[in-house]
Amino acid sequence: MYRLRELAFALVLSLPCVAGELKLYPPVMPLTGSRASQQLLLLEEESGRAIAERTTGAKFVSADSKIATVDVTGLVKAIGDGETTITANSNGQSATAKVRVSKFTDPTPPSFRNNVLPILTRAGCNSGACHGALAGKGGLKLSLRGYDPDTDHFVLTRQSLARRVDRSEPANSLMVLKATRTMPHGGGTRIEKEGWQHQILLDWIAGGALGVSNSDAAVSSIEVYPRGATLKPKDTARLIVLANYSDGRVVDVTRLAKFVSSEAQVADVDEDGQIKVGGNGEAAISAMFNNRVATMTVSSPFPNILDVEAIARSPKSNFIDEHVLRKLGELKLPPSAQCSDAEFLRRAYLDAAGILPTFDELTKFLQDPARDKRAKWIDALLERSEFVDYWAYKWCDTMLVSTRKLPQQAMWAFYRSIRQSIADNKPWDRFARDILLSSGSSLLHGGGNFFVLHKDVAELSESAAVTFLGMSITCARCHNHPLEKWTQDQYWSMANLFSRVGMKNGERVGEIILHPERTGDVLHPRRQIAMPPTPLDGTPISLDDTTDRREHFVTWLTSPNNPYFAKALVNRVWKNFLGRGLVEAEDDVRETNPPTNRELFDALAKDFIEHKYDVKHLVRMVMNSAAYQRSSRPVKGNESDDRFYSRYVVRRLSGEVILDALSQVTNVPTLFTKVYTGVEGGTAATTNYPEGTRAIQLPDSRVASSFLDAFGRPDRAQTCSCERQQDSTVGQALMLNNGQVLNDKLRSPMGQLNTWLGGPTSDPDLVKRVFQRALCREPTEVELKKMVGLMKEAGTTPATRREALEDLFWAVLTSREFVFNH
Amino acid sequence: MICLNAPRPASLCGSGSRRDFLHAGSIATLGLTLPDYLRAQEASGNKDSDVNCIMLFLLGGPSHIDTWDMKPKAPAEIRGPFQPIKTSAPGIEISEIFPKMAKHADKYSLIRSVYHTATAVHDTGHQMMQTGRLFSGGIEHPHIGSSLGYLKGGRGELPAHVLLPRPMGRTGGNLPHGQTAGYLGKNHDPFVLNADPSVPNFKVPDLLPPDYISAQRAERRQKLRDAVDGSFESFEKNAAAKQLDDNFNLAYRLMSSPKARDAFAIEKEPDAVRDRYGRTRFGQCCLMARRLIEAGVRFVTVNMFETVFDEITWDIHGSKPFTDIQEMSKLVAPNFDQAYSALLEELTERGLLKNTIVTAMGEFGRTPKVNPAGGRDHHPGVWTILMGGGPIQGGRVIGESDELGYAPKSRPITSGEVAATIFRGLGLDPHKDLPGPQGRPIPLAEYSLQPIKELF
Repeated sequence: MYRLRELAFALVLSLPCVAGELKLYPPVMPLTGSRASQQLLLLEEESGRAIAERTTGAKFVSADSKIATVDVTGLVKAIGDGETTITANSNGQSATAKVRVSKFTDPTPPSFRNNVLPILTRAGCNSGACHGALAGKGGLKLSLRGYDPDTDHFVLTRQSLARRVDRSEPANSLMVLKATRTMPHGGGTRIEKEGWQHQILLDWIAGGALGVSNSDAAVSSIEVYPRGATLKPKDTARLIVLANYSDGRVVDVTRLAKFVSSEAQVADVDEDGQIKVGGNGEAAISAMFNNRVATMTVSSPFPNILDVEAIARSPKSNFIDEHVLRKLGELKLPPSAQCSDAEFLRRAYLDAAGILPTFDELTKFLQDPARDKRAKWIDALLERSEFVDYWAYKWCDTMLVSTRKLPQQAMWAFYRSIRQSIADNKPWDRFARDILLSSGSSLLHGGGNFFVLHKDVAELSESAAVTFLGMSITCARCHNHPLEKWTQDQYWSMANLFSRVGMKNGERVGEIILHPERTGDVLHPRRQIAMPPTPLDGTPISLDDTTDRREHFVTWLTSPNNPYFAKALVNRVWKNFLGRGLVEAEDDVRETNPPTNRELFDALAKDFIEHKYDVKHLVRMVMNSAAYQRSSRPVKGNESDDRFYSRYVVRRLSGEVILDALSQVTNVPTLFTKVYTGVEGGTAATTNYPEGTRAIQLPDSRVASSFLDAFGRPDRAQTCSCERQQDSTVGQALMLNNGQVLNDKLRSPMGQLNTWLGGPTSDPDLVKRVFQRALCREPTEVELKKMVGLMKEAGTTPATRREALEDLFWAVLTSREFVFNH
Repeated sequence: MICLNAPRPASLCGSGSRRDFLHAGSIATLGLTLPDYLRAQEASGNKDSDVNCIMLFLLGGPSHIDTWDMKPKAPAEIRGPFQPIKTSAPGIEISEIFPKMAKHADKYSLIRSVYHTATAVHDTGHQMMQTGRLFSGGIEHPHIGSSLGYLKGGRGELPAHVLLPRPMGRTGGNLPHGQTAGYLGKNHDPFVLNADPSVPNFKVPDLLPPDYISAQRAERRQKLRDAVDGSFESFEKNAAAKQLDDNFNLAYRLMSSPKARDAFAIEKEPDAVRDRYGRTRFGQCCLMARRLIEAGVRFVTVNMFETVFDEITWDIHGSKPFTDIQEMSKLVAPNFDQAYSALLEELTERGLLKNTIVTAMGEFGRTPKVNPAGGRDHHPGVWTILMGGGPIQGGRVIGESDELGYAPKSRPITSGEVAATIFRGLGLDPHKDLPGPQGRPIPLAEYSLQPIKELF
């Protein structure tokens, strides 16, 4: 009995120890001014990550209530200048935080920029649905989410006979009466009467309703707590957001921030910053305030019991694997085994060069006794011309190489310059530099057509951002970006870098002569002034500077310190091989859309920069990683993973690669004899593409092919990876089943089928050969038996035997194993 | 068997007596002849009582003030160039640019207070009107027709949801348009025709094997493919591979069913019928929609246009590459007027309107004030949509916009409520849960949204 009690006691005692460490956030609270308050957050942490929130139910005590008080919910309020500590108790554990109150008696009224506007923004007053609409609402027009404080101040204090604010009787101000719905308001009650927001509005008006001043403190950064959390489905946790101002103040802006989750199904967040976990995986929660973004991750490990040894034993080829396996361990995802040599070769050829290995190559590879044969063969593959074709096609998608807008000659010049860059393995920074600093004839320097395609300065700047920074800045053209830190000012400062690209017609057809101009500016549409040319968050140059402004952009872009440039390329390459970008979509890199493995992303970019932007080196690192060489077969526990690289994600081949593979296996080339002309359906004959041209070698997206259209070939009309459709559709199934493309190849009197029919090959050998050519493997016993049986049924006359062989080819070439990379 | 809901003698219903035919004769008073009715029953694949839906998507966004919500008393720069005319429904007036549909106002109701508050670009409206929701948080919501298909499946070999003639293309933004099955998976995506039924020799691309592939060979091909045992686990657990399988299966069912093939054979329609709809892409798509519903398709979406660029559409900004008000009234409006009226007439004649909802909607309205280019710009503040057929009553006006056509004045209606109304009309509980991503339940329409009860 005694022992039992002792045991129970020991258990109770040990409980809080088994759980994590208790931490109170923020650990230090500088509260400035009489209105200052701070919501506390009590967290249970394990190795720096929150595993539970304990704020509710905890006991909070202030050591000196003449300096600060704290209520049961953990809300700290300034009472008088001085320092004290707050202690929180929960489950027998405690944690403390320091409070430092200053300027409690400072009579400075609330600031329009820093106090009033954020309230209006959070209340939705200046949202696109209300007064932030282009035309305003009910006669009041505010700038969208407060991007133009000067005008907003003017509108609120001067327009409408200045009835919107009443300095002598603040409570009578129209803006207050409407917002609290003391007067009828189409937008309903936006601000609670007597609430803290109401009080700030009244204090601001009573203090003279002062406007924006240059001495207003600016938000230098925001922070969110907790920084990371590991939770289970159904758990909830709260976030707090702190803003650091340039005058040193730190303000609790949780109630003014906006929250968004990258994966709402893993962890959703409501408008007050309350997280609710709903599934397994990882979600990034972003808090946004005053065009600053702070992000935290919630990870919700899969409900697996993970063999730690399995992760430790899993092969590692280079730094990529360290990062991938660490993430798998965190999320309790077991990795699949490595793929077989034959699987590897087919996969590598398709992913790196868009071709199937020939039977000879496959045999040689399988017989190669070298231990490092995969690495050797990767090296060889990277030197092939098909590798160049494949990557040229890929960059041409991004660069919009097409006769849609470019004349034939210019399209060819652009294509050839891109292809040559890849053939030379031109470092990515030089590739960008050469295109972005093009001058002279667009036919001699094909890269110059980048400027010909985007004549509008705004479009040019946006396209450069998507292409080389992997990000879309389009939103900021008209107003501050709602999901990013980019402001409209930054947008037009960046655009002004491209305002001095002169173009005139050359002497030849399709030739444009590019030259830097010494004058010319693009005006900020709202301010109607030229902004100092500045690459996003880079440094400005003077408006009088007459050097080629593009130089300044490119220097910033290709600097090793640029945090976006290397990553944009890394993500595209990673996606090509692993099927899912570290950031998805591949060209949507932004704060609020974080990578699935940040450390891996950073490490890949660092390695890429250290190797002087050598794309082939990057490709080699990725292809040699154990992560890339994992089997596509799931193991128990990783079936639902499609983003943490616990196995190779099978994917449909692109239309171009399928079409070329059909040609390769049947040995009947696809003829490209027409190009599209008008918007809808018109075509004209072309002799540009000799027999044997593969789809992936086509320079122009306007070459007519219903097959490529059905399989989602991009139009190359706008710079966006979303142009390519990767899903499979019934239309594709019908085209493969019944379409002319495949049937014509099978019926061709010139192809592989004919060669084999002419020889003495037996049915079992025919089945084997088709499997080897198309699937890079032998048929299984069962497959062989079934197929030989079916072929026998067809009959033995030459005509029926041909039909049977056509049908055999057809069956293998329309199988999912063929149209997928796996 | 014929058993209309006649008052008496009720006892004979179901007995198959000669008097049933006498009762059936009374359907003539409904504008139906007996042969029509019999033919409708026979030809129809949809013998169950499920309600179907045809969604005519008026891409570009018709100007409510120039079409179905005129403001004749407003200042000239708002009311625009057209006059209102009376319709067959007492008290309802629409624009003179729709003389034909004015005669059918008993068959549809006007919802004049639809609005949305998202960004005023086409894409958001497309998402919201086709799914009832704005996309956010990484969740791609399904088209209403795909939700229906998911819940009810296809009738026989026919796909549940067909999209004519092609998906919406680029409309400026870079956002999904809400025309897929979203999180329900690609196998619930609409079957896309991808061809223009108004062109001579129209054929559904690759619906049938080429002539030289005999039925015997087609069967052998399937068997051979089934024998390719690449079906190791990599594919079984993979969504993309499963999607391909499902699409192949559906393709095979489509190919092998005479009824399915026949449904697309628009050339079998007499010239008079084809002329009645207008020989335009949209007109012939409306006729195709009628054929498909008759054959058993549950939901047909018809995109009146595919893009707003370089095409004369409802997107009447006035400046190039967009359309102006006059082009709209001379080309777009008559095209719609004729096809929409023919569709309503034919569905009525064939007894299909009573179990087929027909709705016509754009993604937003247009600015009340005519812009300097003589056009009107995007205005999601308020617009009008049309809905009738099935259990939805015609001849009614729901909601109203203010005097200037700027915002709803009464009964504001969101896209979610429109979706809830369609779901209710289709006989579904609008708050029924669908399995969202990772099994998270997501209701057809948000729990807080109710169908527009005044329409039932």
